[in-house]
Amino acid sequence: MTPEETRALVDHLDENITGSSLDSLERLIAEDPEAAQEWYYLNLAVDAVKDHGLYEEISAIREAWKMEETTESVYHVSTPELPAARESGGLVRSLNRYGLRAAAIILIVMSSTTVYKYLSISSASLYDRYYSGYTLNTARGSGSEQPIEQAFNAKDWNTVISLAATAKEKDNQTEFLAGMASLEEKRYDDAITFFEQVIAVNTHAGTDVYQDEAEYYLAISWLADKKVNQAMPILEKIKADPHHQYHDKVAKMSFFDLRLAQYKENK
Amino acid sequence: MRAEEKYTDPELIAAISAGRDLNNAIRYLYQQYSEATSSFIKHHGGSEQDADDIFQETVMAFIDTVRKDKFRGEASVKTFLNAIARNYWFNEMKKRGRAGQRDKVFELSRDKDEADVSHHISEMERKRQLRGLVDQLGDSCRKVLVLFYYENMSMKEIADHLPYENEQVVRNKKYKCLQQLAGFIKDNPAIARQMQEILK
Repeated sequence: MTPEETRALVDHLDENITGSSLDSLERLIAEDPEAAQEWYYLNLAVDAVKDHGLYEEISAIREAWKMEETTESVYHVSTPELPAARESGGLVRSLNRYGLRAAAIILIVMSSTTVYKYLSISSASLYDRYYSGYTLNTARGSGSEQPIEQAFNAKDWNTVISLAATAKEKDNQTEFLAGMASLEEKRYDDAITFFEQVIAVNTHAGTDVYQDEAEYYLAISWLADKKVNQAMPILEKIKADPHHQYHDKVAKMSFFDLRLAQYKENK
Repeated sequence: MRAEEKYTDPELIAAISAGRDLNNAIRYLYQQYSEATSSFIKHHGGSEQDADDIFQETVMAFIDTVRKDKFRGEASVKTFLNAIARNYWFNEMKKRGRAGQRDKVFELSRDKDEADVSHHISEMERKRQLRGLVDQLGDSCRKVLVLFYYENMSMKEIADHLPYENEQVVRNKKYKCLQQLAGFIKDNPAIARQMQEILK
Protein backbone atom coordinates (compact mmCIF):
# COMPACT_ATOMS: atom_id res chain seq x y z
CA MET A 1 0.00 0.00 0.00
CA THR A 2 1.39 3.39 -0.96
CA PRO A 3 0.70 6.39 1.28
CA GLU A 4 -1.43 7.80 -1.56
CA GLU A 5 -3.56 4.65 -1.63
CA THR A 6 -4.01 4.78 2.14
CA ARG A 7 -5.01 8.41 1.95
CA ALA A 8 -7.44 7.54 -0.83
CA LEU A 9 -8.96 4.85 1.39
CA VAL A 10 -9.51 7.43 4.13
CA ASP A 11 -11.10 9.79 1.60
CA HIS A 12 -13.33 6.91 0.49
CA LEU A 13 -14.24 6.28 4.11
CA ASP A 14 -15.19 9.95 4.45
CA GLU A 15 -17.26 9.67 1.26
CA ASN A 16 -15.12 12.18 -0.55
CA ILE A 17 -14.50 10.00 -3.61
CA THR A 18 -16.83 9.69 -6.56
CA GLY A 19 -16.86 8.49 -10.15
CA SER A 20 -14.11 6.41 -11.70
CA SER A 21 -11.77 6.94 -8.74
CA LEU A 22 -14.36 5.29 -6.55
CA ASP A 23 -14.63 2.33 -8.91
CA SER A 24 -10.89 1.79 -8.98
CA LEU A 25 -10.64 2.05 -5.20
CA GLU A 26 -13.39 -0.49 -4.71
CA ARG A 27 -11.60 -2.76 -7.15
CA LEU A 28 -8.39 -2.31 -5.17
CA ILE A 29 -10.16 -3.28 -1.96
CA ALA A 30 -11.74 -6.30 -3.62
CA GLU A 31 -8.55 -7.56 -5.28
CA ASP A 32 -5.69 -6.56 -3.01
CA PRO A 33 -5.69 -8.35 0.39
CA GLU A 34 -3.44 -5.70 1.90
CA ALA A 35 -5.84 -2.96 0.82
CA ALA A 36 -8.78 -5.01 2.12
CA GLN A 37 -7.07 -5.36 5.48
CA GLU A 38 -6.23 -1.66 5.65
CA TRP A 39 -9.85 -0.83 4.75
CA TYR A 40 -11.07 -3.13 7.49
CA TYR A 41 -8.85 -1.54 10.13
CA LEU A 42 -9.80 1.97 9.08
CA ASN A 43 -13.48 1.06 9.36
CA LEU A 44 -12.87 -0.45 12.78
CA ALA A 45 -11.09 2.74 13.83
CA VAL A 46 -14.04 4.89 12.76
CA ASP A 47 -16.49 2.55 14.50
CA ALA A 48 -14.39 2.81 17.64
CA VAL A 49 -14.44 6.61 17.50
CA LYS A 50 -18.23 6.70 17.00
CA ASP A 51 -18.65 4.27 19.86
CA HIS A 52 -16.42 6.39 22.06
CA GLY A 53 -18.48 9.47 21.21
CA LEU A 54 -21.71 7.71 22.12
CA TYR A 55 -20.19 6.42 25.35
CA GLU A 56 -19.17 9.93 26.35
CA GLU A 57 -22.61 11.26 25.52
CA ILE A 58 -24.33 8.59 27.59
CA SER A 59 -21.92 9.25 30.48
CA ALA A 60 -22.83 12.92 30.49
CA ILE A 61 -26.56 12.17 30.41
CA ARG A 62 -26.16 9.55 33.12
CA GLU A 63 -24.35 11.95 35.43
CA ALA A 64 -26.96 14.65 34.96
CA TRP A 65 -29.78 12.18 35.41
CA LYS A 66 -28.27 10.75 38.59
CA MET A 67 -27.89 14.21 40.02
CA GLU A 68 -31.50 15.02 39.29
CA GLU A 69 -32.60 11.73 40.80
CA THR A 70 -30.64 12.46 43.97
CA THR A 71 -32.17 15.88 44.19
CA GLU A 72 -35.65 14.55 43.71
CA SER A 73 -35.33 11.75 46.24
CA VAL A 74 -33.99 14.20 48.80
CA TYR A 75 -37.01 16.42 48.28
CA HIS A 76 -39.25 13.45 49.03
CA VAL A 77 -37.86 12.95 52.54
CA SER A 78 -41.09 12.63 54.50
CA THR A 79 -40.72 15.32 57.13
CA PRO A 80 -44.51 15.26 57.88
CA GLU A 81 -43.97 11.96 59.69
CA LEU A 82 -41.84 13.65 62.31
CA PRO A 83 -44.72 15.22 64.28
CA ALA A 84 -46.39 11.82 64.49
CA ALA A 85 -43.29 10.42 66.13
CA ARG A 86 -43.39 13.22 68.67
CA GLU A 87 -46.83 12.13 69.89
CA SER A 88 -45.68 8.61 70.68
CA GLY A 89 -43.12 9.83 73.26
CA GLY A 90 -40.16 7.92 74.75
CA LEU A 91 -36.44 8.70 74.86
CA VAL A 92 -35.37 6.31 72.11
CA ARG A 93 -38.08 7.56 69.81
CA SER A 94 -37.14 11.11 70.67
CA LEU A 95 -33.54 10.43 69.75
CA ASN A 96 -34.67 8.77 66.54
CA ARG A 97 -36.94 11.67 65.82
CA TYR A 98 -34.18 14.24 66.33
CA GLY A 99 -31.72 12.10 64.41
CA LEU A 100 -34.14 11.83 61.52
CA ARG A 101 -34.87 15.51 61.68
CA ALA A 102 -31.17 16.36 61.61
CA ALA A 103 -30.65 13.98 58.70
CA ALA A 104 -33.60 15.50 56.88
CA ILE A 105 -32.28 19.00 57.42
CA ILE A 106 -28.83 17.99 56.19
CA LEU A 107 -30.36 16.31 53.15
CA ILE A 108 -32.55 19.30 52.40
CA VAL A 109 -29.58 21.65 52.69
CA MET A 110 -27.59 19.36 50.40
CA SER A 111 -30.44 19.13 47.93
CA SER A 112 -30.96 22.86 47.93
CA THR A 113 -27.27 23.30 47.19
CA THR A 114 -27.47 20.77 44.37
CA VAL A 115 -30.57 22.31 42.86
CA TYR A 116 -29.09 25.77 43.20
CA LYS A 117 -25.90 24.55 41.55
CA TYR A 118 -27.81 23.02 38.66
CA LEU A 119 -29.98 26.06 38.15
CA SER A 120 -27.24 28.62 38.55
CA ILE A 121 -24.45 26.94 36.67
CA SER A 122 -23.68 28.25 33.21
CA SER A 123 -20.63 28.93 31.13
CA ALA A 124 -21.01 32.64 31.91
CA SER A 125 -21.13 31.99 35.66
CA LEU A 126 -18.05 29.81 35.31
CA TYR A 127 -16.33 32.61 33.46
CA ASP A 128 -17.13 34.97 36.33
CA ARG A 129 -15.75 32.42 38.76
CA TYR A 130 -12.53 31.64 36.92
CA TYR A 131 -11.58 34.84 35.17
CA SER A 132 -8.68 36.76 36.57
CA GLY A 133 -6.85 39.49 34.73
CA TYR A 134 -3.46 39.11 33.15
CA THR A 135 -0.44 40.86 34.59
CA LEU A 136 2.09 41.75 31.96
CA ASN A 137 5.57 40.45 32.64
CA THR A 138 7.63 43.37 31.40
CA ALA A 139 10.81 41.30 31.64
CA ARG A 140 9.50 39.47 28.64
CA GLY A 141 10.25 42.51 26.43
CA SER A 142 13.62 43.67 25.22
CA GLY A 143 14.02 46.48 27.74
CA SER A 144 12.00 49.65 27.69
CA GLU A 145 8.22 49.43 27.80
CA GLN A 146 6.48 49.64 24.47
CA PRO A 147 3.45 51.96 24.13
CA ILE A 148 1.11 48.98 23.99
CA GLU A 149 2.64 47.61 27.20
CA GLN A 150 2.26 50.99 28.88
CA ALA A 151 -1.38 51.15 27.83
CA PHE A 152 -1.96 47.60 29.03
CA ASN A 153 -0.38 48.24 32.42
CA ALA A 154 -2.52 51.37 32.69
CA LYS A 155 -5.60 49.21 31.90
CA ASP A 156 -6.36 51.51 29.00
CA TRP A 157 -8.00 48.73 27.02
CA ASN A 158 -9.27 50.78 24.09
CA THR A 159 -5.81 52.17 23.48
CA VAL A 160 -4.35 48.66 23.57
CA ILE A 161 -6.86 47.54 20.95
CA SER A 162 -6.26 50.63 18.87
CA LEU A 163 -2.46 50.26 19.01
CA ALA A 164 -2.74 46.61 18.04
CA ALA A 165 -4.97 47.49 15.09
CA THR A 166 -2.52 50.08 13.77
CA ALA A 167 0.71 48.23 14.55
CA LYS A 168 2.90 47.88 11.48
CA GLU A 169 4.39 44.62 12.63
CA LYS A 170 2.09 42.39 14.62
CA ASP A 171 3.70 39.83 16.85
CA ASN A 172 2.21 37.42 19.32
CA GLN A 173 2.54 39.83 22.21
CA THR A 174 0.55 42.48 20.34
CA GLU A 175 -2.14 39.96 19.41
CA PHE A 176 -2.30 38.53 22.90
CA LEU A 177 -2.54 41.91 24.63
CA ALA A 178 -5.25 42.93 22.16
CA GLY A 179 -7.06 39.71 23.07
CA MET A 180 -6.82 40.45 26.77
CA ALA A 181 -7.98 44.03 26.24
CA SER A 182 -10.94 42.75 24.20
CA LEU A 183 -11.78 40.30 26.96
CA GLU A 184 -11.68 43.09 29.54
CA GLU A 185 -13.97 45.11 27.28
CA LYS A 186 -16.32 42.10 27.01
CA ARG A 187 -15.75 41.89 23.27
CA TYR A 188 -15.51 38.14 23.46
CA ASP A 189 -15.63 37.32 19.75
CA ASP A 190 -12.73 39.69 19.14
CA ALA A 191 -10.80 38.18 22.04
CA ILE A 192 -11.31 34.70 20.60
CA THR A 193 -10.03 35.84 17.21
CA PHE A 194 -6.90 37.39 18.74
CA PHE A 195 -6.06 34.35 20.87
CA GLU A 196 -6.67 31.96 18.00
CA GLN A 197 -4.37 34.09 15.89
CA VAL A 198 -1.57 33.70 18.47
CA ILE A 199 -2.05 29.92 18.46
CA ALA A 200 -2.20 29.78 14.67
CA VAL A 201 1.02 31.76 14.31
CA ASN A 202 2.78 29.41 16.73
CA THR A 203 1.43 26.36 14.94
CA HIS A 204 2.62 27.70 11.63
CA ALA A 205 6.03 28.86 12.83
CA GLY A 206 6.70 26.04 15.29
CA THR A 207 7.07 28.53 18.16
CA ASP A 208 5.33 28.83 21.52
CA VAL A 209 5.37 32.58 22.17
CA TYR A 210 2.40 33.40 24.44
CA GLN A 211 1.06 29.93 23.56
CA ASP A 212 0.05 28.86 27.07
CA GLU A 213 -1.43 32.25 27.83
CA ALA A 214 -3.41 32.29 24.58
CA GLU A 215 -4.75 28.77 25.14
CA TYR A 216 -5.91 29.48 28.66
CA TYR A 217 -7.54 32.81 27.87
CA LEU A 218 -9.07 31.37 24.70
CA ALA A 219 -10.87 28.82 26.86
CA ILE A 220 -11.92 31.57 29.27
CA SER A 221 -13.20 33.64 26.32
CA TRP A 222 -15.29 30.70 25.08
CA LEU A 223 -16.80 30.43 28.57
CA ALA A 224 -17.53 34.14 28.53
CA ASP A 225 -19.12 33.70 25.11
CA LYS A 226 -21.37 30.98 26.61
CA LYS A 227 -19.79 28.24 24.52
CA VAL A 228 -18.54 25.73 27.03
CA ASN A 229 -18.34 23.05 24.32
CA GLN A 230 -15.49 24.98 22.77
CA ALA A 231 -13.80 25.70 26.09
CA MET A 232 -13.80 22.11 27.34
CA PRO A 233 -11.25 20.52 24.97
CA ILE A 234 -8.78 23.31 25.65
CA LEU A 235 -9.24 23.08 29.41
CA GLU A 236 -8.93 19.29 29.29
CA LYS A 237 -5.73 19.63 27.30
CA ILE A 238 -4.27 22.08 29.83
CA LYS A 239 -5.33 19.87 32.72
CA ALA A 240 -3.62 16.89 31.12
CA ASP A 241 -0.36 18.77 30.65
CA PRO A 242 1.48 19.25 33.97
CA HIS A 243 4.03 21.48 32.23
CA HIS A 244 1.43 23.91 30.98
CA GLN A 245 1.81 27.31 32.60
CA TYR A 246 -1.88 27.33 33.58
CA HIS A 247 -2.09 23.68 34.58
CA ASP A 248 -2.43 24.34 38.31
CA LYS A 249 -5.09 26.94 37.74
CA VAL A 250 -7.14 24.65 35.50
CA ALA A 251 -6.60 21.65 37.78
CA LYS A 252 -8.39 23.58 40.52
CA MET A 253 -11.45 24.17 38.34
CA SER A 254 -14.53 22.06 38.95
CA PHE A 255 -14.83 19.87 35.89
CA PHE A 256 -18.07 18.58 37.31
CA ASP A 257 -19.48 22.11 37.08
CA LEU A 258 -18.01 22.55 33.62
CA ARG A 259 -19.60 19.32 32.41
CA LEU A 260 -22.87 20.32 34.01
CA ALA A 261 -22.76 23.60 32.12
CA GLN A 262 -21.87 21.66 28.99
CA TYR A 263 -24.82 19.36 29.53
CA LYS A 264 -27.17 22.32 30.00
CA GLU A 265 -25.77 23.96 26.91
CA ASN A 266 -26.37 20.83 24.84
CA LYS A 267 -29.91 20.23 26.08
CA MET B 1 -35.43 19.86 34.12
CA ARG B 2 -36.61 16.30 33.67
CA ALA B 3 -37.35 14.81 30.30
CA GLU B 4 -41.10 14.70 30.07
CA GLU B 5 -41.16 12.48 27.01
CA LYS B 6 -42.83 9.12 27.42
CA TYR B 7 -42.18 6.57 24.76
CA THR B 8 -43.83 3.38 23.70
CA ASP B 9 -41.34 0.76 22.53
CA PRO B 10 -41.91 1.55 18.82
CA GLU B 11 -41.59 5.30 19.50
CA LEU B 12 -38.37 4.78 21.39
CA ILE B 13 -36.92 2.65 18.62
CA ALA B 14 -38.03 5.15 15.98
CA ALA B 15 -36.43 8.03 17.90
CA ILE B 16 -33.11 6.21 18.26
CA SER B 17 -33.13 5.00 14.65
CA ALA B 18 -33.71 8.50 13.38
CA GLY B 19 -31.19 10.02 15.80
CA ARG B 20 -34.00 12.26 17.00
CA ASP B 21 -33.80 13.60 20.57
CA LEU B 22 -31.26 10.97 21.50
CA ASN B 23 -30.66 12.72 24.82
CA ASN B 24 -34.28 12.34 25.82
CA ALA B 25 -34.42 8.75 24.65
CA ILE B 26 -31.37 7.87 26.74
CA ARG B 27 -32.79 9.67 29.76
CA TYR B 28 -36.01 7.74 29.32
CA LEU B 29 -34.07 4.45 29.30
CA TYR B 30 -32.40 5.46 32.55
CA GLN B 31 -35.65 6.59 34.14
CA GLN B 32 -37.55 3.47 33.20
CA TYR B 33 -35.08 0.63 33.29
CA SER B 34 -31.88 1.41 35.19
CA GLU B 35 -33.35 0.74 38.63
CA ALA B 36 -34.26 -2.87 37.86
CA THR B 37 -30.78 -3.56 36.48
CA SER B 38 -29.14 -1.84 39.40
CA SER B 39 -31.16 -3.86 41.92
CA PHE B 40 -30.36 -7.09 40.14
CA ILE B 41 -26.63 -6.46 40.00
CA LYS B 42 -26.36 -5.21 43.56
CA HIS B 43 -28.41 -8.17 44.73
CA HIS B 44 -25.98 -10.50 42.95
CA GLY B 45 -22.67 -9.34 44.27
CA GLY B 46 -22.10 -6.18 42.26
CA SER B 47 -21.38 -2.70 43.51
CA GLU B 48 -23.14 0.55 42.67
CA GLN B 49 -20.34 1.26 40.21
CA ASP B 50 -20.78 -2.17 38.61
CA ALA B 51 -24.48 -1.47 38.21
CA ASP B 52 -23.76 1.91 36.61
CA ASP B 53 -21.19 0.46 34.23
CA ILE B 54 -23.30 -2.53 33.23
CA PHE B 55 -26.37 -0.42 32.53
CA GLN B 56 -24.36 2.04 30.49
CA GLU B 57 -22.92 -0.79 28.41
CA THR B 58 -26.45 -2.18 28.07
CA VAL B 59 -27.75 1.14 26.76
CA MET B 60 -24.83 1.26 24.33
CA ALA B 61 -25.68 -2.24 23.08
CA PHE B 62 -29.35 -1.36 22.72
CA ILE B 63 -28.67 1.82 20.74
CA ASP B 64 -26.18 -0.01 18.55
CA THR B 65 -28.67 -2.81 17.86
CA VAL B 66 -31.44 -0.36 17.01
CA ARG B 67 -29.20 1.75 14.79
CA LYS B 68 -28.15 -1.33 12.87
CA ASP B 69 -31.83 -2.14 12.45
CA LYS B 70 -31.29 -5.44 14.24
CA PHE B 71 -33.87 -4.92 16.98
CA ARG B 72 -36.67 -7.14 15.77
CA GLY B 73 -39.20 -6.29 18.43
CA GLU B 74 -39.84 -9.95 19.21
CA ALA B 75 -39.11 -9.09 22.82
CA SER B 76 -39.96 -5.83 24.55
CA VAL B 77 -37.30 -3.22 25.16
CA LYS B 78 -37.43 -4.11 28.84
CA THR B 79 -36.84 -7.81 28.18
CA PHE B 80 -34.01 -7.04 25.80
CA LEU B 81 -32.29 -4.70 28.26
CA ASN B 82 -32.70 -7.15 31.12
CA ALA B 83 -31.27 -9.99 29.08
CA ILE B 84 -28.29 -7.94 27.98
CA ALA B 85 -27.59 -6.63 31.48
CA ARG B 86 -27.87 -10.04 33.12
CA ASN B 87 -25.71 -11.74 30.55
CA TYR B 88 -23.16 -8.97 30.64
CA TRP B 89 -22.96 -9.25 34.41
CA PHE B 90 -22.69 -13.02 34.05
CA ASN B 91 -19.78 -12.48 31.68
CA GLU B 92 -18.17 -9.97 34.02
CA MET B 93 -18.33 -12.40 36.94
CA LYS B 94 -16.77 -15.05 34.75
CA LYS B 95 -13.88 -12.71 34.06
CA ARG B 96 -13.54 -11.99 37.76
CA GLY B 97 -13.39 -15.69 38.50
CA ARG B 98 -16.64 -15.87 40.44
CA ALA B 99 -17.85 -18.92 38.56
CA GLY B 100 -20.05 -20.52 41.23
CA GLN B 101 -22.02 -17.38 41.83
CA ARG B 102 -22.09 -16.78 38.11
CA ASP B 103 -23.87 -20.04 37.30
CA LYS B 104 -26.38 -19.51 40.08
CA VAL B 105 -27.15 -15.96 38.95
CA PHE B 106 -27.52 -16.99 35.40
CA GLU B 107 -29.83 -19.90 35.98
CA LEU B 108 -32.02 -18.14 38.54
CA SER B 109 -32.44 -15.03 36.48
CA ARG B 110 -32.90 -16.52 33.06
CA ASP B 111 -36.15 -15.47 31.49
CA LYS B 112 -37.71 -18.30 29.53
CA ASP B 113 -38.64 -15.83 26.78
CA GLU B 114 -35.15 -14.48 26.71
CA ALA B 115 -33.44 -14.53 23.34
CA ASP B 116 -29.85 -15.61 22.96
CA VAL B 117 -27.85 -12.46 23.39
CA SER B 118 -24.39 -14.03 23.45
CA HIS B 119 -23.46 -12.38 20.17
CA HIS B 120 -24.40 -9.00 21.67
CA ILE B 121 -22.16 -9.70 24.65
CA SER B 122 -19.13 -10.57 22.52
CA GLU B 123 -19.78 -7.50 20.38
CA MET B 124 -19.99 -5.33 23.52
CA GLU B 125 -16.70 -6.74 24.73
CA ARG B 126 -15.05 -6.07 21.38
CA LYS B 127 -16.36 -2.51 21.37
CA ARG B 128 -15.13 -1.96 24.89
CA GLN B 129 -11.64 -3.05 23.82
CA LEU B 130 -11.76 -0.68 20.87
CA ARG B 131 -12.88 2.18 23.08
CA GLY B 132 -9.88 1.47 25.27
CA LEU B 133 -7.67 2.00 22.23
CA VAL B 134 -9.36 5.34 21.49
CA ASP B 135 -8.54 6.32 25.07
CA GLN B 136 -4.88 5.68 24.32
CA LEU B 137 -4.88 8.44 21.71
CA GLY B 138 -3.81 11.89 22.80
CA ASP B 139 -6.53 14.31 23.75
CA SER B 140 -6.18 16.42 20.62
CA CYS B 141 -6.44 13.35 18.37
CA ARG B 142 -9.45 12.00 20.20
CA LYS B 143 -11.19 15.34 20.00
CA VAL B 144 -10.64 15.82 16.27
CA LEU B 145 -11.81 12.30 15.47
CA VAL B 146 -14.88 12.47 17.70
CA LEU B 147 -15.87 15.87 16.33
CA PHE B 148 -15.55 14.64 12.77
CA TYR B 149 -16.91 11.11 12.97
CA TYR B 150 -19.36 11.34 15.87
CA GLU B 151 -20.47 14.97 15.92
CA ASN B 152 -20.33 15.12 12.10
CA MET B 153 -18.64 18.50 12.16
CA SER B 154 -17.00 19.71 8.96
CA MET B 155 -13.28 20.42 8.74
CA LYS B 156 -14.08 24.11 8.73
CA GLU B 157 -16.22 23.87 11.85
CA ILE B 158 -13.46 21.96 13.63
CA ALA B 159 -10.89 24.53 12.53
CA ASP B 160 -13.17 27.23 13.90
CA HIS B 161 -13.69 25.50 17.21
CA LEU B 162 -10.29 24.06 17.98
CA PRO B 163 -6.99 25.89 17.92
CA TYR B 164 -6.04 24.89 14.37
CA GLU B 165 -4.95 27.26 11.67
CA ASN B 166 -7.17 26.10 8.85
CA GLU B 167 -9.12 23.20 7.39
CA GLN B 168 -6.04 21.63 5.82
CA VAL B 169 -4.28 21.47 9.18
CA VAL B 170 -7.34 19.74 10.64
CA ARG B 171 -7.53 17.36 7.66
CA ASN B 172 -3.88 16.35 8.10
CA LYS B 173 -4.31 15.98 11.83
CA LYS B 174 -7.40 13.83 11.41
CA TYR B 175 -5.63 11.63 8.86
CA LYS B 176 -2.64 11.07 11.14
CA CYS B 177 -4.87 10.38 14.14
CA LEU B 178 -6.99 7.86 12.25
CA GLN B 179 -3.83 6.14 11.04
CA GLN B 180 -2.54 6.06 14.60
CA LEU B 181 -5.74 4.49 15.86
CA ALA B 182 -5.80 1.95 13.02
CA GLY B 183 -2.20 1.13 14.01
CA PHE B 184 -3.24 0.55 17.63
CA ILE B 185 -5.93 -1.81 16.43
CA LYS B 186 -3.51 -3.73 14.19
CA ASP B 187 -1.13 -4.09 17.10
CA ASN B 188 -3.82 -5.35 19.47
CA PRO B 189 -3.52 -9.13 19.71
CA ALA B 190 -7.18 -9.81 20.53
CA ILE B 191 -8.44 -7.70 17.64
CA ALA B 192 -5.83 -9.22 15.31
CA ARG B 193 -7.11 -12.70 16.23
CA GLN B 194 -10.67 -11.66 15.41
CA MET B 195 -9.37 -10.29 12.12
CA GLN B 196 -7.74 -13.59 11.29
CA GLU B 197 -10.97 -15.43 12.03
CA ILE B 198 -12.89 -13.09 9.77
CA LEU B 199 -10.39 -13.48 6.93
CA LYS B 200 -10.40 -17.30 7.16
